[in-house]
Amino acid sequence: MSTVVSPELAERVREAGAFDAEACMNCGVCTATCPLGLDVLPRRVFRYVMLGLEDRVRDESETVYSCLLCRLCEESCPAGVHIAENVRTLRRHLNRSLYGLEV
Amino acid sequence: MSALPDRRIGVYVCHCGGNISDYVDVDRVIASVEQEPGVKVARTAMFTCSDATQTEIVTDIQEQELDGLVVASCSPKLHTFTFRNAAKRAGLNPYQYTQVNIREQCSWTHTDDHEGATEKAIRLVRAGINRTRLTSPLEPLVVETSQRALVVGGGIAGLRAALGLAEIGLGVFLVERSAELGGWVGRLGEIYPHGKNGYELVAGLEEKVRARPDVTVLTNAEVVGKSGSFGNYVASIRVQGEQGPETIEVDVGAIIVATGFDAYQPDEGEYGYGIEGVLTLPEFEELLSASDGPLELDGRSVRSIGYVYCIGSRQPHGNAYCSRYCCPAAIHASLRVADRGAGVSQYHLYREMRAYGEHELAFSESRKRGSLYLRFADDDPPTVIREDDGLKVTVRDLLTAGEEVTIPVDLLVLVTGMVPRSNDELIQALKLPVGRDGFFNEIHPKLRPVETVVDGVLIAGACQGPKTSSESVASGLAAVTQTAAMLKLGRAELDPQVAVVNGAACTGCGDCVAACPFAAIAMTGTNGNALAFVDGAVCKGCGGCTPVCPENAIDLLGYTDAQVRSMIDGLVAAV
Repeated sequence: MSTVVSPELAERVREAGAFDAEACMNCGVCTATCPLGLDVLPRRVFRYVMLGLEDRVRDESETVYSCLLCRLCEESCPAGVHIAENVRTLRRHLNRSLYGLEV
Repeated sequence: MSALPDRRIGVYVCHCGGNISDYVDVDRVIASVEQEPGVKVARTAMFTCSDATQTEIVTDIQEQELDGLVVASCSPKLHTFTFRNAAKRAGLNPYQYTQVNIREQCSWTHTDDHEGATEKAIRLVRAGINRTRLTSPLEPLVVETSQRALVVGGGIAGLRAALGLAEIGLGVFLVERSAELGGWVGRLGEIYPHGKNGYELVAGLEEKVRARPDVTVLTNAEVVGKSGSFGNYVASIRVQGEQGPETIEVDVGAIIVATGFDAYQPDEGEYGYGIEGVLTLPEFEELLSASDGPLELDGRSVRSIGYVYCIGSRQPHGNAYCSRYCCPAAIHASLRVADRGAGVSQYHLYREMRAYGEHELAFSESRKRGSLYLRFADDDPPTVIREDDGLKVTVRDLLTAGEEVTIPVDLLVLVTGMVPRSNDELIQALKLPVGRDGFFNEIHPKLRPVETVVDGVLIAGACQGPKTSSESVASGLAAVTQTAAMLKLGRAELDPQVAVVNGAACTGCGDCVAACPFAAIAMTGTNGNALAFVDGAVCKGCGGCTPVCPENAIDLLGYTDAQVRSMIDGLVAAV
């Protein structure tokens, strides 16, 4: 069953702050350097946001909150994606949309 | 068998640094041939093509007064001219040298059979010696060259070439099949990488070309025939005269073919082609250039665009080549869309992106500006359907862990590549060499990139294979340089290894005329007294005429029947 792509999720996430992962080229350096060994964060979750796959983002919400924000991935990212900033924005978005929290 | 002429031949067998001698016993080859009649010098060399060995060969030729040379090393494609020049330096006629290939034909092909490779090498070298024994000195044919050139095709490559030829002092006939000059680029708006307008670029070129009195522009015209030879071709051109079509003839020394390409045209249903809202790349570029402001298709605002790459290129059962211009062209088109107003979602569905050189920067730029790139597997292409609520493309995205997603789009661009143009009549008229992919072939992709095997017929632009407009112009100017190098000297030297007719034996049957693929043979004299005559400047030395002659009255200099027979004797004799 395929999921329908929409730009609308990324627009809503951006209402919660800066989110910019278009430069990501899916090299996987972020996943390789993650000290927690988070499998889907950051690159796959970022793809879900950009493609508008909201269910997938919700499924991975725990991972989004597990990130240490250590920025090891960001230091290594060859495309200069602001990964930690994106994760913070994503948390603010999930706080709102999942838990109804305004932070 | 006639008595063997008394010859003094030098034989050099190459180790090729082990490439040959690891498999072929080169010392045994020498030992087996040094007693052959006429052999005066026989030795091995680590690298025969090295300056040191060439100098040794020159010294041997001069001191031993050699009148024949055999080099047994690699392919004649590689070093024929190397050793012809060495012979020349030593004062030996270059046509008294024979190249024997014991690398590609022996060591490289028979790595598992050293004995067999060695025996084969002995036979080949012996054949080479036998051929050399029957050589006679030949002198190149010298022809005067015309100071005019013909350019076929009035696109950006042909226009630039015509201007270049005129600027260098050569007269030009520029022939264009359609009614207008300009070709593909002349129909384009903004083109990458610098955003110049294609129509304006071509209009500027055309103005300069038309202003030159030394350029004759013929539109609605086609080249239908060619006679004569390099330096002095006569081209037949069909033009639209006042009383309908007529054929004119022009004298030119060289011909530059710049006939361009065709856009790949998808079949009905191929990736949804034929469905409303599915366009090819050229159709999309036309749409982009036709208006300003937010993009519309058939009066409806376009908010979402999909691009599917490699349509008609890199196909396992179709065109195998990459058309190389289409990735950058589609990226650039998506940037033009982004320039016309925010809020258009753009999804690029690709197999591999090939944004080489500075196009890489545009690729990054397009991602920064919101274009999303989704990668599909070669064997899992996207599917396209139109439902009540619009056009949809479904793809399994390898960059999102193989997630299958459906993208609703207002417009889908099939990023189509280039295919060879159908030009059968021109190919026939000019004997153009066509590659397996249908594009025209150069002699050497690196060192002789615009010359063809037909002397004085050059190729430029996308008729040779997919090229961007800047690459087409570069090859057009390369063809100008080569044309000038050939014609500005005023004379040309042609290979003397051509067919000759023994007038005493010829019965005038004309079989050879029919056999010649280059129209180099004609009948002279009156009926009953007719004789075949070979125009040495037109003959390519292919030898096609010699076996058909019932009287053995036609022979190929350098490969006479006697020489070929002696070579066969050398090949079959016991080792």
